Amino acid sequence: MSIIDLTSMGASQSDLRNEINNRLSKLQDEISEYCYQCAKCTSGCEAHKLLELEPHKIVALLKRGLINELVNSDVIWTCMTCLKCRERCPQRVAPVEVLFALKNMAVASGKQIPGKYTAMLQSILTMGLIQDIQQISTRSNTTVKREDLNLPPLSKPVDATKFQAGIMKIAMEKI
Amino acid sequence: MKKKYALFPGCLMPTEQYAYELSIRETLPLLGVDLVDVEGFSCCGEPMKSVNQLLTLYLSARNLAIAEKHHLDLFAPCAMCHMSLSETHYILQKNPSMKERVNSMLAAEGLSYTGTGQIVHTVDLLHDHIGIETIKQHVKKPLTNLKIAAHYGCHLIRPSEIGRPVNSEDPQKIEKLLKAFGAEPVQDYPQKLDCCGAPLLANLPESALTKTGQKLQAIQEQGIQALVDVCPWCHKMFDSKQTKAGETVAAKLDIPVVYLTQLLGLALGLNADKLGLHLNLSPVEKLGLKEGK
Repeated sequence: MSIIDLTSMGASQSDLRNEINNRLSKLQDEISEYCYQCAKCTSGCEAHKLLELEPHKIVALLKRGLINELVNSDVIWTCMTCLKCRERCPQRVAPVEVLFALKNMAVASGKQIPGKYTAMLQSILTMGLIQDIQQISTRSNTTVKREDLNLPPLSKPVDATKFQAGIMKIAMEKI
Repeated sequence: MKKKYALFPGCLMPTEQYAYELSIRETLPLLGVDLVDVEGFSCCGEPMKSVNQLLTLYLSARNLAIAEKHHLDLFAPCAMCHMSLSETHYILQKNPSMKERVNSMLAAEGLSYTGTGQIVHTVDLLHDHIGIETIKQHVKKPLTNLKIAAHYGCHLIRPSEIGRPVNSEDPQKIEKLLKAFGAEPVQDYPQKLDCCGAPLLANLPESALTKTGQKLQAIQEQGIQALVDVCPWCHKMFDSKQTKAGETVAAKLDIPVVYLTQLLGLALGLNADKLGLHLNLSPVEKLGLKEGK
């Protein structure tokens, strides 16, 4: 089993895309009913200050049904998931959830996954965690690993094959 | 009464943020907490939420189910894990058909999620479950002359809709704990609720570091002497990557950053090495803390 199965444009992905589409439609309905573009989300957005993400505009574009444009845009990957937009929206719209759904759609549509997400997913598939034990530096420039510190063994999936089968089911499952 | 929890380590704490784990394992048992190591946990799933939200839900439910199997409440010291597990619990309780679907997938590993277990984080475990009075009774070396600001971390304070251990706009529990340790908390500063930058590490690492640098620089310019945190991701940014974060904002950052449980340990009279203080890369010696033996 590999990362390719989870992220390719294979037949099984059409079910996943349908499910994400349903999620986006539901969000679109909610937005149409509630969002009045006050831009409070953008005023507090951590990624706005640094990377010019404007959650209220993302919401406005989804309202107009411009899903493909959003899915193909790099800006959806600038969200820091600080959750301020979800916390503070006076209408209980959650732009961060719109962004998650759009990113999920980008992945399910076979777009290249940016950065280390692929490596982290591969690591989860292999050993259950996003990374294995790291050797770290101390302040006095010596190096230590987990076992040098008398810490107990890592907790991770006991039966890797069964664990992987569970994850693969998510990618393959018919909705 | 003894409080018993399955320790849910997550990914980051047990693979590189050893100081948090060391200080948790050294201090909490002294306050009547029994930490149980359980086999078989995995990533909480939150790092995969941008890739596939169902995977996040599945992984979180799987971990909750493992704790349930052992009839234990779950202690997640990482704010991100705590948020993911809490949100999954919130979603599955509200959505029985999703719960059924997740459970049908968990059956392959002989697991089942019902949602009976409690999920706690370091801050509510100390403040609500152990309690300020009990902690005060155990303090042997009060941290006098320590002025320090708290960073709670986004995932610990938001979204309040799913139930968080602290108030989302005016969290004060860490400050109360610091007072119990004998320290002097900086009550408020404008950037208190701001992000550490860590969630961007996966795909925009430079921007992540800039976020970190901006917050630390603002803290330094206000004359705040030190920062305390309660999440391995936040600590990775503020402590482990402080020098690099400083480069992104062209500032020489020089702020000691410690885990809350490290301060707790010092207040309880424990030795600094046992609390992993030699692993902090920020200048913690500036704190001038007297350690126990």
